Amino acid sequence: MWIPIQINEQSAEPLYHQIEVQLRALIVSGQLAEGTLLPSIRELAQMVKCSVITVRRVYQDLENEGLLRTRQGTGTFVAKVGEEMRDKHRRSSVIEAFEAAVDAGLRVQCTDAEMREMLESVLVRKRDEDKGGG
Amino acid sequence: MEELAIRVEGVVQRRKHFQLGPVQLRIPKGYVTALVGPNGSGKSSLFRLLMDLSKPDEGEIEVFGHPIGCDDLLLKQRIGYVPDQAIDIEDHLRAEDKASFARHWYPTWELNRYQELLRRFEVDPSIKLGRMSKGMRRKFDIALAMAHHPDLLLLDEPSSGLDPIAWKTMIDVIHRYMERGDRTVLMASHIVDEVKRLADYIVFIVHGRVLGMFEKDALLESWYTLYIDGAGRSLEWKAMPGFYTQEAVGSGQFKVVTGDVAEAEEWCEREGLRIAGRQKLELDDILAILIEQERLRMQA
Repeated sequence: MWIPIQINEQSAEPLYHQIEVQLRALIVSGQLAEGTLLPSIRELAQMVKCSVITVRRVYQDLENEGLLRTRQGTGTFVAKVGEEMRDKHRRSSVIEAFEAAVDAGLRVQCTDAEMREMLESVLVRKRDEDKGGG
Repeated sequence: MEELAIRVEGVVQRRKHFQLGPVQLRIPKGYVTALVGPNGSGKSSLFRLLMDLSKPDEGEIEVFGHPIGCDDLLLKQRIGYVPDQAIDIEDHLRAEDKASFARHWYPTWELNRYQELLRRFEVDPSIKLGRMSKGMRRKFDIALAMAHHPDLLLLDEPSSGLDPIAWKTMIDVIHRYMERGDRTVLMASHIVDEVKRLADYIVFIVHGRVLGMFEKDALLESWYTLYIDGAGRSLEWKAMPGFYTQEAVGSGQFKVVTGDVAEAEEWCEREGLRIAGRQKLELDDILAILIEQERLRMQA
């Protein structure tokens, strides 16, 4: 199966982190439903052009978080994601994106007020677009 | 440590104009390991030693825990080998003749698998080997080396002579071969894209010496060119983690190469330096740097 993971080659984020964040998001958002059989480690490695070592690490991490489970000989499946966990992850990916945005602001010496103002105006614009778009 | 496919221990081979080793090497089972190095660095010599086609002057080699060089028929049956050069005394043989000779030696040889590979590579087995184009001969050799479902594939520059389509087929065939997870490939290559697509580990070998073994993704993620705003200060670049070279590129900016980008960026932050841009190094750039570092180390 194909999984929509996009790798940014020049990004500062290590490959395993990029894959992990995106795969986690696909699982907690429900885009990959409970029980879905994921590609084998070699297959996913080939898809995103990285080594099996990196993919194994991602699967291992997500398994430790309870998002995946591996059945010996059959493969790796999406586990049941509880409401609480879903909510935690739902927020954590957004917080991470905000952190990156704040870093960008700090780099060009934005004040707190400026950044709040920017967030406010982005929110207004996006909500408007949503309404306009349908 | 994971299970090993190959263990090379203190191997030295002396020739009139070349010395291989001492080589220390551990190739893990279940992975694709690429041997990367310039021409004449000893990659093919290493393959021949692994196949017991030549003997080391010192040291020992084990494949799947069995020593190479004694009665190793059973071991060889688990290996598929594509040498760097086609064997010219076989030029008069038709492909199908060579295949029927080869199958005698491998109990696990499977006709269906062989034919499937010939089909995928579009090889006509009725042609004499000497009449085949270089690429066709190469594809035939790869198919033949894989027809007995080997546990270990030794590929010495497998893609030399392949056109881009055949090259893609080869990459795919190797990926599928590895799918089971318990097989091992050791391949020599200096094609950057090939190593990037196939390898899990990279071994750099130069002038008969192993410069190091690296996890591919970690290696490619550690070498970067950073464009740094010098802020008009005089800087002690050598203090930067992983520092390799620096040059001023105008308007107060410096182009700095580091082999430890994560630490280097933290260093910049501590020094209050702004990073204006960052660019990954390609595999061949990294190889060139390692060769140069080795040269300086030998001089010192």
